[in-house]
Amino acid sequence: MMLTLTDLLVASIALAVPVLVAASGELVGERAGVLTMSVEGMMLTGAFAAVVGATSSGSALVGVACGALAGLLVGVLQAVLSVTLRADQIVTGIAANALALAGTTFGARLLLERGTEVPGFARVAVPVLSEIPVIGPVLFRQTGLAYALIATVVVLGVLTSRRTGWGLAVDAAGEDAASADRSGIAVLRVRFGAVLVVGLLSGLAGTQLALSEVHTFTDNMTAGVGYLAVVAVIAGSWRPVGVAVAALVFGLAQALQFTLPALGVDVPFALLVMLPYVLALLAVAGLVSHSRPPSGLTKPFVRLGRAT
Amino acid sequence: MSTTHPPADAGAPGALPGSRTSITTVPALALHAVTRVFGTHTALDSVDLEVAPGEVHCILGENGAGKSTLCNIVFGALPPTSGEVCLAGEPFAPSSPSDALAHGVAMVHQHFSLVPTLTVEENLLLGRGRARLRPDRRGLVVRLAEIEETLGLHVDPRARVGTLSVGARQRVEIVKALLDRPRLLLLDEPTGVLGPDEIDGLLATCRRVAAAGTAVVLITHKLAEVMRVGDRATVLRAGRVVGTGPLAREHGGGRSVPAPSGPTGSEPSWRDEELLEAGDLVGLMVGRDVSSLDPLLAASVGVTRTRAAGAAPAHVARRTAVPDDTTPPVLAVHGLVVETPDGARRVDGVDLEVRPGEIVGIAGVEGNGQSELVAALSGALRPAAGTVRLDGQDVTRARPARRTALGLGVVPEDRHHEAVVAGLSVTTNLLLARLHRFRRFGLLDRRAMRAAAAELARRFDVRAASLDAPVSALSGGNQQKAVLARELSLEPLRCVVAAQPTRGLDLGAVDDVVAHLRATADAGVGVLVVSSELSELLVLCDHVHVAYRGALSAPVPTDAPDARERVAHLMTGAAA
Amino acid sequence: MTAPLSSPTAATTGPGPSARPGSRSAPPRPPGPAARPARGATGDRLRSLAPVLVPLAAVLGALAISTVLAVLAGATPAEAAAALWEGMVGTPYAIGSSVNVAAVLLLVATGFLVAHRAGLVNVGGEGQICLGAVGATAVGTMLPASVPAVLTLPLVLLVAALCGAAWGSIAAGLAVRRGVSEVITTLLLNFVGAAVLVLAVHEEALLRQPVTSSETLPQSAPLVEAAHLPLLGVPDSPATVAVVLALAAAAVASLVLRRTATGIRLAAVGQSRPAALRLGVPVDRLRFSALTTAGAGAGLAGGVLVASAPHVLDDGLSSGYGFSGLVVGLLARGSFTAAVGIATALGFLVSGGINLQLAAGVPASITQITESLIIIGVAGTAIWSVRRSRTRRRAAPRTALGSTATARTEVSS
Repeated sequence: MMLTLTDLLVASIALAVPVLVAASGELVGERAGVLTMSVEGMMLTGAFAAVVGATSSGSALVGVACGALAGLLVGVLQAVLSVTLRADQIVTGIAANALALAGTTFGARLLLERGTEVPGFARVAVPVLSEIPVIGPVLFRQTGLAYALIATVVVLGVLTSRRTGWGLAVDAAGEDAASADRSGIAVLRVRFGAVLVVGLLSGLAGTQLALSEVHTFTDNMTAGVGYLAVVAVIAGSWRPVGVAVAALVFGLAQALQFTLPALGVDVPFALLVMLPYVLALLAVAGLVSHSRPPSGLTKPFVRLGRAT
Repeated sequence: MSTTHPPADAGAPGALPGSRTSITTVPALALHAVTRVFGTHTALDSVDLEVAPGEVHCILGENGAGKSTLCNIVFGALPPTSGEVCLAGEPFAPSSPSDALAHGVAMVHQHFSLVPTLTVEENLLLGRGRARLRPDRRGLVVRLAEIEETLGLHVDPRARVGTLSVGARQRVEIVKALLDRPRLLLLDEPTGVLGPDEIDGLLATCRRVAAAGTAVVLITHKLAEVMRVGDRATVLRAGRVVGTGPLAREHGGGRSVPAPSGPTGSEPSWRDEELLEAGDLVGLMVGRDVSSLDPLLAASVGVTRTRAAGAAPAHVARRTAVPDDTTPPVLAVHGLVVETPDGARRVDGVDLEVRPGEIVGIAGVEGNGQSELVAALSGALRPAAGTVRLDGQDVTRARPARRTALGLGVVPEDRHHEAVVAGLSVTTNLLLARLHRFRRFGLLDRRAMRAAAAELARRFDVRAASLDAPVSALSGGNQQKAVLARELSLEPLRCVVAAQPTRGLDLGAVDDVVAHLRATADAGVGVLVVSSELSELLVLCDHVHVAYRGALSAPVPTDAPDARERVAHLMTGAAA
Repeated sequence: MTAPLSSPTAATTGPGPSARPGSRSAPPRPPGPAARPARGATGDRLRSLAPVLVPLAAVLGALAISTVLAVLAGATPAEAAAALWEGMVGTPYAIGSSVNVAAVLLLVATGFLVAHRAGLVNVGGEGQICLGAVGATAVGTMLPASVPAVLTLPLVLLVAALCGAAWGSIAAGLAVRRGVSEVITTLLLNFVGAAVLVLAVHEEALLRQPVTSSETLPQSAPLVEAAHLPLLGVPDSPATVAVVLALAAAAVASLVLRRTATGIRLAAVGQSRPAALRLGVPVDRLRFSALTTAGAGAGLAGGVLVASAPHVLDDGLSSGYGFSGLVVGLLARGSFTAAVGIATALGFLVSGGINLQLAAGVPASITQITESLIIIGVAGTAIWSVRRSRTRRRAAPRTALGSTATARTEVSS
């Protein structure tokens, strides 16, 4: 029993990492006032590009670079739409997701052959630490990419905390863009940059999913994980620790899909697939009234000619 | 974007024998033929302006005269359509506020430029060039101490801006503007949200800042402030400069900086101009002779004249229908408490009565619970305790629709968001609350609706190109008249609650709004007016309560000779 | 004017050159009209046509990109066009299938437009279709024989609409009661709804047809004969009366929104909740009803899908109809006439896309690429195509496709 619990935790951390990485990017975007619904599309595009890059070059690292770049490109598209063109963030985000889904499906038909070996990342056991019972394997037997991404998330959290000028600029742009602008902050640049961060991290999250976990690309392989990342930000009340906890919970819920059947527990698969989304629904339904999103979220900024 | 600057001017020799406040001849700020066009509307029409270093230059004008547009152009928030701005003789075309800040132009915004969720320190660290990875917190502390020492402005760096009073916020706003030692300080209607004491403090700060050599531009529509603090004034009307000149010194005005003694031969640069007096400024602002001015209009620009002053036109004369205390009130509020979701008391035990035919005012600096009180009266907010009775019926928890049916008209404070649905037609907006009357076979009888709307528009003089056009196409005054038309034509109508009914309107529209409210009261309806314009309330109301921190003072009769002083005193939170 | 003042002209010329030798000489005041940007008649006309031209350009751009992709996939443009054309209108069968798809999209879009009028964005079409289909299948396969045949189909469709409405009401209730963004909840409910459908067709205890061999597909038993949607009767065409149903639904919705008090109140709620509340409009009730109605529209679409050939429920039932219906609703910009046109165009495009894969080897996902590119193009260019009010006061920038829906919660009532 001990062993299976450990297995569950290992799997849940592994599945939580993509959610965590994408959500911490999304957190920066939302704090800056841009609701990026296209995390799902960025992840999927990142996963696709990572697999294409890794198979065609034979190097997993090239795959990572491709995945990051692809996420960044979708980020550029979303930033131009949301920030520069002041388009509806929700609508364009969902459309970008549909584009990514159809585009990667289309691309997979043309570029990927089934059964090809995909270079990926294997689990690395950190010496000594991984020997600790339960916690050891859970935390210290992940892939190298996962360690790198978790480090990235921590660094990002520090760089955009309220202690830094950047963090203040991000919060100001999202909370009160007009005041930030009058204070001399380049609101559009801050927001554009924040969406690029979302793109980069979401692309990496997709890469992690494809190269560390699944080791291949399948159509719609993210299957809504990107939306879970968006919800994790809401459920985590726009606070880094809360977001991380929410990401872990969603990861755990997803992991049940794979671990429970393996344990021989007879639960219809569809119910397990449903579980993370039901949890996410409960989270937003129960938590939203206690927390407050950045006031400027989804509101495009334009310097109004006339003072109102 | 702008015309090229004649370079010869930039280094103009200091041949001028002495300006009033500075020896330099290069104005800190100069506007040459600055024009700004919005669509078909010319907000600024070839405006010229010069502001010397160390001078407090007041820019006066009614709402919509172009004052804010001018400010925004200088601060880089808005490019001019044509014309040229010079800063210390150099052409200056800021592309953004950030750019303007970099050139030493700072601005104190009417509604502040502070992020409420951040602390004071964090807000101050936000400024241009400071938002780098590791902000200079120590440097900020030093500079804050310096500002406190020279200007007496104290701020608490750790306080969250959202929890500060309006006065304290404005202090933060001013400190923020002064952090980088600007050459030019713009203040856009800075006194609108302040109480009398805070206004005094602000004006004194203006003088001190100017004394240190900074050019100060004070934008206001309140004459009294101009006369107390200004060196020069420029009056804008409908986007044009209609007059400019040095100000006559107000007798007994305690300025900290020597004011000019007047036009003498020793000041050749001013010899062509005569000193501006308060009366001149009013005449310029409204475009009429001040002696013909309705005292109410005069009041709204800051010329103090209560009804007791006598020579009021007939329609301002004291109404005869004022009821005595024995008439039962149409609106009776007892022990009303309104709390925010986090438990803060915004309205704290308010008692209030309005009798038929009476006009009751609620004065006070904004943010003392007036908005929440009106929301509770109109049914938008649930009170935590207390009762609201309308004509004897308890409506404390009634829906807005029921209150309307019982005869409560409400003119909301936030016209664009609460009073009208901007995208719907004028007709729809006029009739939205009574659509059920136009039902025929389940569908709406559009012809009958048009006829009814046309009749209302005629009665209330709502001028619209078409009643089918969206209400947002109307001017502010006509929108407000449309709201009045809807609310004052209710049947039955027993009581009207009007929140800031004249805000943002030009004087003609103010006059109309006030006339309608008076006529309504004369018809036996109780009227409650909430306004931050004390002078207006003193002219309009029978008696005035003062809101302070969620509580109301006892009523002050406006015909008492010292009504203004008593109310102003109450606004500072002192007991009557 | 009584005041002895510098007149406007004096103000312009300043203190006078003689008095201030150092100051610049006063420039002549530029003539008024010259200061304004010249705007020719052509410019004005172009501007007034922008709401039509800009989206049109976006659509053409999307089609161009899709053509390039089709070529990349190995089809010559001529082949691709021929396959597309064949799939759209080549045979009576193709036309009939296209019309059927258009009917489903129009039903989803009609619901979307009702909710959108109240300021709500229903992204949950997919989940609502699934629930509607599950409900319809349950009734259509298990109805006792004693129910008259005449009532069977109406009952099936009614239950479908009710199930969709119930699914929509979850999001509606959360939006009204707890202030949760309906965008987030309807999105999440899509995943849950899809899983419910999968569950239903995989469990024999639920709707799965009796498993007789290992080859029994995970799908429901066929609906009873009386629950099948009648064909329109065009020879060789699979077109059903669904198109009549959809047109009727759109017409009724259009009439209600434009000509009844409820419709006007919905618009007031959508544009300004505080103002609507102030005017006695039952804001919460209308918002709840609007989103529930949207669910009913999509649920009905789900019912129509299972009541059409092959009359079974399987887990591939709604492959993107929810999203395509959303696309129709967004592009229609509140107009039901436009919705009919766009649903027809997309219906034909979807059918054509299927044939594109069969005949020319271009992956069918190319139609979804085209759809999403169109949405991105139209939403992205909204700042040029949305007519701005001619007044000086410009409201906060709203995009045509936009809603004010946010993840924001209402702090107070």
